[in-house]
Amino acid sequence: MAFERRKRNHSLESTLQSLADEELMALVAKGQARAFETIYERHGGAAFSLAYRMCGSRSLAEDVAQEAFLSIWRSGGRYDRARGSVRTWVLGIVHNRAIDALRRTVVQERRRASDEGIEERFEARERTEVEAARREEASTIRGMLETLPDEQSRVIELAYFGGFTHSEIAEMLGAPIGTVKGRMRLGLEKLRGQLAPQGVMP
Amino acid sequence: MITGGNGDHARFGDDVAPWLLGALQSDEREAFERHLAACGRCREEVAALRPAVEALPLAAPPVAPPPDLRDRIMRVVESDAQLLEAAGETADRPEAQGRRRPRRRWLGSVSPALAAAACALVVAVGVGGYLIGDSGSEGGGARVVAAKVSFPAARASVRTEGGRASLQLANMPPPPAGRVYQVWLKNDGQMPRPTRALFVVRSGTVAIPGGIADADQVLVTAEPPGGSMLPTSQPVIAANTA
Repeated sequence: MAFERRKRNHSLESTLQSLADEELMALVAKGQARAFETIYERHGGAAFSLAYRMCGSRSLAEDVAQEAFLSIWRSGGRYDRARGSVRTWVLGIVHNRAIDALRRTVVQERRRASDEGIEERFEARERTEVEAARREEASTIRGMLETLPDEQSRVIELAYFGGFTHSEIAEMLGAPIGTVKGRMRLGLEKLRGQLAPQGVMP
Repeated sequence: MITGGNGDHARFGDDVAPWLLGALQSDEREAFERHLAACGRCREEVAALRPAVEALPLAAPPVAPPPDLRDRIMRVVESDAQLLEAAGETADRPEAQGRRRPRRRWLGSVSPALAAAACALVVAVGVGGYLIGDSGSEGGGARVVAAKVSFPAARASVRTEGGRASLQLANMPPPPAGRVYQVWLKNDGQMPRPTRALFVVRSGTVAIPGGIADADQVLVTAEPPGGSMLPTSQPVIAANTA
């Protein structure tokens, strides 16, 4: 049935495919399900990857991604293009949801998930050029993170992907809070400096 | 308390990076955001570092989402969209009126168009909800009003007699997992009032404790067990009892 429906809507879908994210969001704000589905097609992969990287568990990542996309659907009118790309906005919502989910779980459990590091058991198959490009982009940015001094990349990863607060990180590393905050800033400044020339600005 | 003025920069300046990374506790975050609203220097620093933080999610190794995740999301989206479609042209009205968003907190955080759709659905009941029977001859004056139901095979009606009221159901699908149906009373221009009528039955009669008084509408939504104080989902049954 889904297949039949897709076939019927073929021309609508090719029209939607040709629209920019920002134009699709205007349709989403009016409640157009197909426009939303196109947004999901474009950004669901990156969103789920982020959720999975943060949560370390497939089922929690699914819950987080589902919650995030439904909130995007229901608050579609709130997207403001002046504040950045749709992708950045979507990933920001996923990040917030994942942090909320992580902060609900026990610290000990999270530390384990976060120490597992980057697990690639469920890697996306490189079916399309888009996925290949994403894979390359991910490794470029990971490469940049790796050029940071360990102490800086560690606090950034624990905060951004681990969902830990600065004081939890300070405790974990046995470092003063001021030092942890300083390393975050230095690391971000360095990363910022590397981004512009590489042309991978989000 | 915290003034949030520029003079606080020494105190809050170090929080720019932790705030961007989501590493502040919620009380610290709120204090920082108050400061940020008043401090141009912090806003500049946020603007300078933000691109670095926005690149971070792209470093996550690509993982394919399970195909059924899309199906689960789209099922909800499509049922919302159908509600919108049922509401017709009125659904676009809040958009056309610009950014002023109607306060429809009772629907949770829904887009203006969806809120309007739900609202229009309730209005549409005025057309769709007809009087089935008015057996005024029976002294008690039983009145049965057919409800609009979002499930095609299901039927529902509200029966009132004297001060008593009940919902009569046929072929309702079971509520989503972990949810129960809850009956609400609503008057025009007001938030729905919760009733203690909770049910999972698919067919039969559900009493509405306390009757429906002068409610203009009787609504049913799926809610967490124990019911809610405000609806957390779209109405699946709506009857115009005005």
